[in-house]
Amino acid sequence: MKFKLNVLVATVILVATSTLWILPLYALVAGSVKSLADAMGSPLLDLPRIPDFETIVRAFNALAGSMLNTAIIAIPATFIAVLIGSLAAFAIYLRGGRVANYVPPLIAITTYIPYQALIVPLISLIRQAEEVLKVPLYDTLHGLFIVFLIYYTPMATLLMFIFTNNLPREIVEAALVDGMKPMTVYRRVVLPLLGPGFVATLIFMLVQMWNNFFIPLSMTRGYEKHITLRIFSYVGQAGTIYNEMFAAAAIGSLPPLLIFVFLGRYFVRGLLTFTGGGR
Amino acid sequence: MALKLRQFALMALPVLLFIIILWYGIGWNIYVSLTSYSLYKPRLDFVGLGTYSDLFSDTAFINAIKITFAWAALLVLLGNLVGLLIAVAIFQFESARLRSLLTSYFVYPLAVPLVASGVIWRWLFDSAKGFNVYLSKLGLPEIQWLSGWNALWSLIGVSVWVYGGFIALLYLAAFYNVPRDVIDSALVDGADALTLMAKVVIPHSKLGLLLGTIFSFLFALQMFDLPYSVLFTNPFTMTMVIYMYNKFAYMIINISAAACVFLIALSAIIVIPYATYGIRKWILKVM
Repeated sequence: MKFKLNVLVATVILVATSTLWILPLYALVAGSVKSLADAMGSPLLDLPRIPDFETIVRAFNALAGSMLNTAIIAIPATFIAVLIGSLAAFAIYLRGGRVANYVPPLIAITTYIPYQALIVPLISLIRQAEEVLKVPLYDTLHGLFIVFLIYYTPMATLLMFIFTNNLPREIVEAALVDGMKPMTVYRRVVLPLLGPGFVATLIFMLVQMWNNFFIPLSMTRGYEKHITLRIFSYVGQAGTIYNEMFAAAAIGSLPPLLIFVFLGRYFVRGLLTFTGGGR
Repeated sequence: MALKLRQFALMALPVLLFIIILWYGIGWNIYVSLTSYSLYKPRLDFVGLGTYSDLFSDTAFINAIKITFAWAALLVLLGNLVGLLIAVAIFQFESARLRSLLTSYFVYPLAVPLVASGVIWRWLFDSAKGFNVYLSKLGLPEIQWLSGWNALWSLIGVSVWVYGGFIALLYLAAFYNVPRDVIDSALVDGADALTLMAKVVIPHSKLGLLLGTIFSFLFALQMFDLPYSVLFTNPFTMTMVIYMYNKFAYMIINISAAACVFLIALSAIIVIPYATYGIRKWILKVM
């Protein structure tokens, strides 16, 4: 085999950068399995003397409630957002013409501007809806669910429109000419063809909702209703002991990290589509 | 075979409703920013541009603008540099599996909740337990990572860690789209790896630079989770979104709305061309 200088240089660069990249994750894992005495005495990047899983079990018990709350909101919201988003995307695609020219940019603008700038009007709307409907929405799980849907369904629609637009038009048109109803075409033809794009959008949305901090922070009180709030609640506890909050951060990051490890290519595909690098 | 309008409206109904709500939100911000609506004056009295003159005479907001701009400029610059370096390094390997494995590896910070990253980095910057322990062991001077303006530079560095791999991903996507025959003909001409990258692959990958710049700018404008979870409302890391959130938390709604309008207007400089032209040209390829 011929010696390749460029591969050697690339290897050196990648070893250096990847070490830097893993450092926080390593610190997180090492820190969360340190005992109290170990965490008080040793600096962050030292290996735990004896791995102690008590902290992580305690953190899991403390976080289980908010993890469950987050899952109850994020999983259905993801599925509903992607489902109605893909249906709308298909409708835009079929309608074509001016709708296809103007609706996706209108969605894209609201998707790419800082989403935090729209939280106050949304909360004021939620407050008005409470008065009209006589149901509490602010600081409730279902209220948070609704706000997630409002934010993320347009984003899912945009991603699904990009995927739908890549479908071969002839297949869809042939099915319509055969007399199939649009909904039947969507179910029997479009959804199966969109499989990977659909999954990519699902995975991307799920990770976004799990990791979102700003929306639950603004929409709820206390720290119980979303996992990121719960992780944040540990930050306020000052002192020199980091094992508890690292264990909490590790537990809370585990679901999106597991998704990333096992379904990373879908996440990456969703991310690329979201940012224009994908096809 | 176009869909009938009624059928279209039916299939897209919830999405259309949500888009209207979000656009209503933009309008609401503009409207409320022209009023005196706040905890002290909970009425929608029209005050014209008075709110904006209050906003821009608030030194905290001017500071937040400067911080956000510094963040955007440095994230664009460093993010692109780091992203390009990683992308070029990964591109040297032939194996597609290895390439995609390495790319995913560098993207992982985007899968971690930013709040969790904030918790970790806060401690890595801790003077008694973090990097400084190792710096002094090596005989290097300690750095006060989070004091004064250092806090801003440190957190900008963390944001490069968060988004650098993602920018590398954009560059790699652009590299893979460089026509094979262009690369082959350069190789036939005897170009070495460095010449190939510098003269052929990178010049053909301007889209990577453009998208890397667009999105690092937009992510910098949205910066909230990271500075807020590390240092709350520390004036040295108070971005525009933190300022806006703070005003909202204290129920000074009109100022918060005016800050939102400014933030939206700023992002619109990039978002409107991207949403109307960029997506059609680069993604949908209809232009």
